[in-house]
Amino acid sequence: MKLFGLFIALTFVNNVVLSKFYAICPLMGLSKNPKNALNMGIAVIFVIFLSSIITWLLYYYVLVPLKITYMDLITFILVIASLVQFLEMFLKKTSPDIYKSMGVYLPLITTNCAVLGVALDNITANYNLIEAAVAGIAVPLGFLIVIYIFATIRQRLEIADVPTSFKGAPIALITAGIMACAIMGIAGVV
Amino acid sequence: MNAVIALMIIGGVLGMMLGIAHKYLKVEVDQRIDVVTDKLPGVNCGGCGYPGCHGLAEALVEGEVQTPNKCVVASSIAKKEIADYLNTTPGPDGKCLQIKC
Repeated sequence: MKLFGLFIALTFVNNVVLSKFYAICPLMGLSKNPKNALNMGIAVIFVIFLSSIITWLLYYYVLVPLKITYMDLITFILVIASLVQFLEMFLKKTSPDIYKSMGVYLPLITTNCAVLGVALDNITANYNLIEAAVAGIAVPLGFLIVIYIFATIRQRLEIADVPTSFKGAPIALITAGIMACAIMGIAGVV
Repeated sequence: MNAVIALMIIGGVLGMMLGIAHKYLKVEVDQRIDVVTDKLPGVNCGGCGYPGCHGLAEALVEGEVQTPNKCVVASSIAKKEIADYLNTTPGPDGKCLQIKC
């Protein structure tokens, strides 16, 4: 039950994009069509899930015994970069179409602050391994949901009559802000 | 000292895993793309409208662009070289491209 609460809290209440404002770059860059958004979300789930487990293990079984916990940032970045590199190779081999459609945003998952954010939050929040794994699914799932909803809204915005100065990114940012307001409604539930 | 050794080991292990993964997930790419990329100036200015020199090389080899003149930086000698190379080197399908310079 505690884990379920954690899951809901991380997916919706403390949504990574709308309440912490992580990962705004891919949110803007890859939300032009829902299919791309979905691919991006799945890629991010893969990276965050594995990285949150691996970084947790590395932190408590390598960095803590050696008393070099100040090296956490660089170690985590190393792990994340390797995972993204692996994902890139995998996608290039298995589905070149997805690889092409995601373009530069695929390697940019490395610098997606949600990924590093989850890894660091797992440590600062003193999660155990199971909780870290739950966080590793819940957070990117929240990202997936938001980026997908956002992409569908943006498709409607394409045909909407927006004032010229607001066309494109500005109206998208305003939309994201309104979505964040909506999420505020359930703040503090869990 | 601990930190240096630990980081080196972690990096080494991760690198090794990636190396193994690379072996199994290797994708055959057209050899010509690499050669053309080398012949381009390599400044990645984007003046041709493609993301970097590799992008233009890909477009050239795949026939999307028919002339290296798209590149605004390369010397005319380098452009001639690229055209000659692509006109004389057959691709995987055994055909040479028709590149104008």
